[in-house]
Amino acid sequence: MRTISIALAVARKDLTSEWRTRELVPALAQFVVLALVIANFGFQFDSHNAPAIAPGVLWMALVFAGLVAFGRAFAAEREQASLEAMLLTPAAPAAIFAGKALAAGLMLVICEAVLLPALALFFGAPLSFDVISAVLLATVGMAVLGCLFAAMVARVRARELLLPLLTLPLWIPFIVVGGQAVQSAMSGSGGGTGQATSLLIDLDILFVVLTSLAARFVLDD
Amino acid sequence: MTSGITRYEKAAVAAVAVMLVAGGFIFFYAPTDALQGPVQRIFYLHVSSAIAAYGCFAAVLLGSIVYLWKENLAADRLARAAALVGLVFTTVTLVMGMIWAKPIWGAFWTWDARLTSTLVLWIIYAGYLMVRRLADPGRQAARFAAVIGIFGFIDVPVVHFSVTWWQTHHPGPVVINNALPLEMLVSFLVTMACTLFLAAVLVAIRYRIEVLTDQAAEKTVPAPIVAPSEAGGAR
Repeated sequence: MRTISIALAVARKDLTSEWRTRELVPALAQFVVLALVIANFGFQFDSHNAPAIAPGVLWMALVFAGLVAFGRAFAAEREQASLEAMLLTPAAPAAIFAGKALAAGLMLVICEAVLLPALALFFGAPLSFDVISAVLLATVGMAVLGCLFAAMVARVRARELLLPLLTLPLWIPFIVVGGQAVQSAMSGSGGGTGQATSLLIDLDILFVVLTSLAARFVLDD
Repeated sequence: MTSGITRYEKAAVAAVAVMLVAGGFIFFYAPTDALQGPVQRIFYLHVSSAIAAYGCFAAVLLGSIVYLWKENLAADRLARAAALVGLVFTTVTLVMGMIWAKPIWGAFWTWDARLTSTLVLWIIYAGYLMVRRLADPGRQAARFAAVIGIFGFIDVPVVHFSVTWWQTHHPGPVVINNALPLEMLVSFLVTMACTLFLAAVLVAIRYRIEVLTDQAAEKTVPAPIVAPSEAGGAR
């Protein structure tokens, strides 16, 4: 109970500070739309190949937006050295970590709320419940892993360099399974989304448990 | 030390000798594959080095867990040593596989589940070594690397079972399915034993290097800081 209220308090703090500065979310929204523009030139879109390419573009844009979002998750804490202050409180590191991951994940969800309609609008990719649920389920796992490594690289030299190197390999399971789910949902075949959804839930549980166990070693100095 | 030859040098010589024996089995004892021809001989070293890499990464996992649990420096050094050796064996596996794939599949690389997951494995442990270099040496680097060592190991079973879980071009397990003739099986088991010995020797040598590096780091005492007023003749 206490852990949950601490996590919610940390998440609220991050979201409030984002609401006051309005730095990250508008930049992310712009970033994903730009990614779609670049993809248009890179792939030479037309109405024939759009359904086949759209899922790939979705995951590419999401992964790189995620890297930007999680790279910023600990930036303010580092500049103000406020993470140390939070760790001095009796709050459990895992609870603080959960709050940070929750806030960063929510910001990525807001960015998805721009990306998915934009994808539907520009590339004619049909949005269905299966697509949205696959993206949201993948976001859970991507948020906890991204936040864990963001916390780690925040204290390391060359952090911008290291975050993608560490995070991307471990995001691959989500991209593989989520990519399959979105591909079959967008092509309308429908088969396999149920299995992919349950696999995504399994992956989420695995990584939420692992990261909450590891959070203590990464945050605590 | 007084004899001039350390036990590490003896072990290294033994490892080289043992690998030459394995080479003898591969090239002179094992029969040529009827379908694939001489290129099939890559199989012995390819699979053996993959197994050696699994073993090294298991050592990284073990060392990482023990380090986080007990803050045991020896466990951290073991993880450090095994990660590097495991990365070398993963490289050998990938390169050997590509050389085999060119004549058999017609291409060095296909985005097959096993090939892709092995490449991801390589990238994960390369990242592990990067963190070791970039984090502040000591406790922080060891802790961060240990977390990656534990998370990264998730990919090892993925690589191993990829041929069963997905439809792949990669040949399935032939050894445990009794699909090999006796001479091939013997050659494979000999090569595997020799490769595992080589891996163990490399980890032991690397472990020794890590010990010496740590000792050297401890010995370099920072130069005493002397206040200018004291240094420049007080009074």
